[in-house]
Amino acid sequence: MTAWLLRRLAASVAIVFAVLTLTFILIHLAPGTPFRPSADDRTVSPEVIARLNRVYGLDRPLAVQYLKYIGNVARGEFGESFSQHRPVARALADAVPNTVLLGVAALAIEFALGIALGAYQAARARRRVDAALSHLTLFFYSVPTFWLGLALLLVFGQWLHWLPVGGVGDPVVHDSLPWAGRVLDTLRHLVLPAGTLGLVGAAGTARYQRAAMLEVIHQDYIRTARAKGLTERRVLLRHALRNAVLPIITLLGLSLPFLLTGAVLVETVFSWPGMGKLAADAIFARDYPVVTAAAILAAAMVAVSSVAADLLTAVADPRVRLGARDAA
Amino acid sequence: MRTRAVVVVAALAALTACGRRPGCTGDYCGTLVIAGLGEPSTLLPPASDDAHADAVADQVFVKLADLGPSGNTFGDVGFVPELAERWEWDNPRTITFHLDPNARWHDGRPVRAEDVAFSFDVNTDSIVNSRARAALARVRRVTTRDSLTVVFHFSEAYPEMFYDAVHHVRILPAHLLRTVPRDQLRTAAFGRAPVGAGCYRFVAWKAGQSLELAADSTCFLGRPHIRRLLWRFTPDPSVAVTQLVAGEADVYEIVPPQDFERVRADSQLVTYPYAGPYYTFLGFNLRARGDTSLPHPLFGDRQLRRALTLATDRQQLVQSVFGGLAKIPPGPMPLLWATWDSTLRTLPFDSAAAARILAANGWRDHDGDGVRDREGQKLGFELLTPTTSASRRQYARLLQEQFRRIGVAVEITELDPNVMTQRMETGNYDAALESRQGDPSPISSIAIVWLAGGSANYCRYDNPVFADAYARATGATSRVEALRAWRSAFQVLLDDAPAIWLYSQQSVAVVHRRVADVRIRPDAPYALVRTWRIPPDRLIDRDRVERR
Repeated sequence: MTAWLLRRLAASVAIVFAVLTLTFILIHLAPGTPFRPSADDRTVSPEVIARLNRVYGLDRPLAVQYLKYIGNVARGEFGESFSQHRPVARALADAVPNTVLLGVAALAIEFALGIALGAYQAARARRRVDAALSHLTLFFYSVPTFWLGLALLLVFGQWLHWLPVGGVGDPVVHDSLPWAGRVLDTLRHLVLPAGTLGLVGAAGTARYQRAAMLEVIHQDYIRTARAKGLTERRVLLRHALRNAVLPIITLLGLSLPFLLTGAVLVETVFSWPGMGKLAADAIFARDYPVVTAAAILAAAMVAVSSVAADLLTAVADPRVRLGARDAA
Repeated sequence: MRTRAVVVVAALAALTACGRRPGCTGDYCGTLVIAGLGEPSTLLPPASDDAHADAVADQVFVKLADLGPSGNTFGDVGFVPELAERWEWDNPRTITFHLDPNARWHDGRPVRAEDVAFSFDVNTDSIVNSRARAALARVRRVTTRDSLTVVFHFSEAYPEMFYDAVHHVRILPAHLLRTVPRDQLRTAAFGRAPVGAGCYRFVAWKAGQSLELAADSTCFLGRPHIRRLLWRFTPDPSVAVTQLVAGEADVYEIVPPQDFERVRADSQLVTYPYAGPYYTFLGFNLRARGDTSLPHPLFGDRQLRRALTLATDRQQLVQSVFGGLAKIPPGPMPLLWATWDSTLRTLPFDSAAAARILAANGWRDHDGDGVRDREGQKLGFELLTPTTSASRRQYARLLQEQFRRIGVAVEITELDPNVMTQRMETGNYDAALESRQGDPSPISSIAIVWLAGGSANYCRYDNPVFADAYARATGATSRVEALRAWRSAFQVLLDDAPAIWLYSQQSVAVVHRRVADVRIRPDAPYALVRTWRIPPDRLIDRDRVERR
């Protein structure tokens, strides 16, 4: 187990390093320059751009820039943002907690709702309610995330005024509230973006869960459980669901990267200042240090979450023995 | 279990309500939430180059004087005193400003003449590379006579010398910035927590979320009525409009044309049209792609450019895309400029005349494929447009159709603005839909875009007759003389047709109905916020919230 963990961590470091290298090269080779205004209605003279290139060392050969960057990263320095005029670490420190909060909330909705729906459908397989829920989950699975976000925003924000239309807190009152009020305010702002991401994810999870449950409930041990006289509820929840949830844990490992890095559109629609939006803005602004640092961080998070998903699978399923193949 | 949950939620809701503490009443309450499209890069004025930072800087910092309601930039007529309570002309090349002795920095220190001299020095420093630097080129030096008197010495006299002295430079606190090395000013901590002498002081900036200012009740220019200003950052114009309609924001400075009806239908919102600072044109690359020493095979021909201008029904385009919210400019100018002159001789829409000119120059549809050709060369070109502008993307398609009708093939390429600018800069393009923002005066903008050597002269337009007229306009000694010279300059451009000037937008700001005394200055929509107010009988909950 320890050897397995060390191997996986070493592989993770290699992956992060590869992502760093690829991102660094690609963003530097992309057309455009970092110091051109993002809108084309303001002008910066070529002399100014040349001077800024000198200041930030962008006039040096790419290999020299790369080696210098590697050295800086090894010392924990990610440089300064070209567009925000502040350390990249500060920009990431502002964005990461928002992304984690959104990702965790969306994951909770995705899996709680997805597993419950899938299990419910499997228990009522091939009935009318199953067919209706299948159509519903297919709809949410197919709908573009940004469209769903805009629709929820219009309905619950603009028309019903039930929920705020954007941000991570009400800028007017948030800081005036006691801690419990601030928590509640953040949760109110979290409902729509997390709900959007969670609903789309839950639709996919529900379909996986339904299939897994259907496979399990035809197994002999389920028949045995029923023959022992257990209630249907107990059979489904205690015996079937526990085994059918194993593939979903693998799905969790696959969902994490998407939630951490793929929420750009949702973050834009709901003005949610997370990592996705930070990285997207940085790409448009050719803010090389931010783009590269965001890629490093995202790769690290994905690698860690992948290891965590494998560990979870081993905990949930005693048949899985990490590193067993190597031991053999 | 259910009861316990209800109790918890009720307790949390009560705590939230307790936090609102509705305290403020009277004339000096009010919280104005501004939907900010984008976020400033820094709040240190010489280091910033974006309109978002300007909007905040207008509140935090002061200038010596600023434009008045007329927007006049000639002489000193109509300028409104700010830090300088008065001024006098010692001679045609020297202006003396007397500072208001009551002006204070937000840390309590008095504002002094040395701050003005320091600010001028920072803005003209080549290391800092302030965008004001070019406009200050004719200011020879700035000296202090005493702690409240500062003197501007110019190398020559010209109509806009007063405007140049006061408009481009926001006064900075020398005691806080003098020790910061100039090459580190852009990243100085001051840029994220500035100290100014304006009527609003900086409170907080939450990256990606909001920026808050609070009224300085002792402001020497008069106590602002609205107590809190909050910029709420949003990345998308339509989302900004949704915030307004949902009652979560109070002001948005430029409503996109596609959202105008949504705003107008809301009885809580009032629209304020004002002359916009932008103009948009289809610019022709006059030099060959990849070799700027040669003329462009198509657009090097003045007759062809004029024919394409004649074939463009600009009235129909403006109507289709903007309704009544834009005008066709008589040359390269936004509605904002005093040089707007409807009597200039422009090429009308006349597709028959366009077709005749093309045919007379050998461009005919010899092979019957609907596209004119000459000696085996098709009459077609690539048109660049930025992905970020919905109106220009729409224009590209409409122009493509109008040109198709006279046998000209247009291939549209949508590009990221950064990439588009790079292609134009290197000359690797045929034509592009460009948009330019103008200062209140045309001098710097015209030089950058239409003079040979201008940093954004992507058309590579170079006509000595135009350059002479421009020089006369900038060197004129009177407003009348300057306007006459500008008219000559623009007429040369119109006749040469290096571009088709398509539209100048009428900007529309939208403000919540409870806000009174709203005045919008076209070049800086938030410049007069300190004079806006919310009458006591119109205050809503958020106006009364006390900050902890």
